[in-house]
Amino acid sequence: MTDRTAQPSIMVENLVKRYEPSPGWMRLLVRSNVKRTVTAVDNVSFEVQPGEICTVLGPNGAGKTTIFRILVGLTTPSEGTSTVMGHDSVRQAVRVRRQVGWMPSDQRALLMRHSVQENLRFHGQLQGMERAELTEAIGHTLELVGLEGWATSTCFALSAGMKARLQLARALLHLPKVLILDEPTGAVDPVASHELVNLIRDICSERQIAALISSHKIEEIQALGSRVLMLDRGKLRYDGSLDALRQKYAGSLLEIRFRTAPAAAEAQLALKNADIGLITRMDDTELACELRSTVTHANVLQLLETQTEDIMSLQEKETPLQAILANIYRDAEGEYDAS
Amino acid sequence: MTQVKEPRAGAGVRKTSLAFLRVDLIEEFNYPLTLVMQILGVIVPLIPFFFISELVGDSPTVGGDYLTYTVIGLGMTTMLTGAMSGFGGSLQNAFQRGTLEVFLVEPVPWTTLPLAMNQYQVMFGAVSGMIVFGVGIILGAQFDSSGILAAVGLSILGIIAGAAIGIVSAAVLLLTLKSAPVLRLYSLAASLLAGSIFSVNQLPGWARPLSFLLPHTYVINGTRTALMANPGSFEMEISTAVLALVIFDVIFFTGGVFLFRRTLEFSRKMGTLGGY
Repeated sequence: MTDRTAQPSIMVENLVKRYEPSPGWMRLLVRSNVKRTVTAVDNVSFEVQPGEICTVLGPNGAGKTTIFRILVGLTTPSEGTSTVMGHDSVRQAVRVRRQVGWMPSDQRALLMRHSVQENLRFHGQLQGMERAELTEAIGHTLELVGLEGWATSTCFALSAGMKARLQLARALLHLPKVLILDEPTGAVDPVASHELVNLIRDICSERQIAALISSHKIEEIQALGSRVLMLDRGKLRYDGSLDALRQKYAGSLLEIRFRTAPAAAEAQLALKNADIGLITRMDDTELACELRSTVTHANVLQLLETQTEDIMSLQEKETPLQAILANIYRDAEGEYDAS
Repeated sequence: MTQVKEPRAGAGVRKTSLAFLRVDLIEEFNYPLTLVMQILGVIVPLIPFFFISELVGDSPTVGGDYLTYTVIGLGMTTMLTGAMSGFGGSLQNAFQRGTLEVFLVEPVPWTTLPLAMNQYQVMFGAVSGMIVFGVGIILGAQFDSSGILAAVGLSILGIIAGAAIGIVSAAVLLLTLKSAPVLRLYSLAASLLAGSIFSVNQLPGWARPLSFLLPHTYVINGTRTALMANPGSFEMEISTAVLALVIFDVIFFTGGVFLFRRTLEFSRKMGTLGGY
């Protein structure tokens, strides 16, 4: 349960990050692909409360990882502020890192020649954990992520799913208040991915951890059932629940089967003229209507009043999330083109 | 806004150092053949000098004992090389393996990394240097035991100077992301000018003053004064060597840590930290 009265665990205010081209002298040392200023994050603000999970969505280059890197102090913002548990992520980065469990998207970010428990021990030592506390925490955390039988296994021998679990264990070991997980299931198969997402959701709920999770996988976002932050080209396009996102951007999908092909064609024309949404002809006798949010089924039936006898079946379906997201990005594309 | 009480103080320098040392030791012992080859790489280059000493051993320029003269030069160079190259090497490994970001996200001040990530190589360099001395004794090198304490002191000061040069080099590595131009340049200069296998007096007159800019020169030649009855034509007072090395240590270490912090901040701002 999210506690809205508490101090936000993560607070981002008017955050801007511009990647500048390297100075001329630096290009003598190493070549850079940044030839002009790139705005990776553009005036983004949001808060995450204790116990709340926020899924950060966006195509590649949307600014997700940059925000994560700013929060853990790996890079600095050009403008704006970000705090974790009240600590400024630029000036108090060390304090921030004590409170954060971080899981980078790169699966190589483990000590590959070391055992599972050595990976955790190293992290725990740097977190300042005492030997007895650490030994207990390693056992408990491995059990939590389902790696209890793999403590002495060498990391490189683990499957992608196990490596992801180990990365999650490392992020959880020191009992952080905040989890920042950058594509935690990136290289994981669908079944393992599903289990990992459920695990993350349960742990966050049980420990009241605020979590920021970036993901590209629709089924994962649905499984998390979390608040959604949608980024596109550095801008925050949407901040709210998945349900509200559906309500705002998706009408329902209506599939109508007609007795004859001419009846279907006639209906298609009538609906098109009424501009009720996107009409697609599925086959000779079947239409699919992606209705605008203001249009109801009653409106459709009213429009097809003269053809009710030709209608064999009428079925309502939920618009796939994939389609909703695609629509939002398409709209944003239009805005960029217009500007 | 009130700040939340912190659950833990984070690791201090000692814990951080122990954590990195443990990880480095496990890593090294994962590759036993490489470890053996590294040690052979220290011992074998000494052998030719045993034969060369048979030819030029009694030259007064090298104190009449070329084998001892060279063992000291190579032994101390080995110690300093370990100290110089360790941090840059660990940093580059972390760049390439993708673990640097994970290290940087740990709640330890970034300025402790040069110490923590270098200590294994410092130790390995020191042990390798001692192996050179041991093999030298087997081959017939003779040391004045009364100078051992001074030699140990000089080697510690030299290792600190080497580590400091390593930090400067690593700072530049953060910008170049590959190779270590400072270290390469310094190593070339040291191999030519510090007098590890020949006397500084044999250098052309214009090059000799450059020798005095290198910590290697003071470590090697100060140790020769400490451990050889006759250190040859280029005799350096131990007190001079100690004073020079202390000055080097203070300047290079302070400057190195400052430069490392600045380049870290610059890389953080540019967003290149952890990239490769």
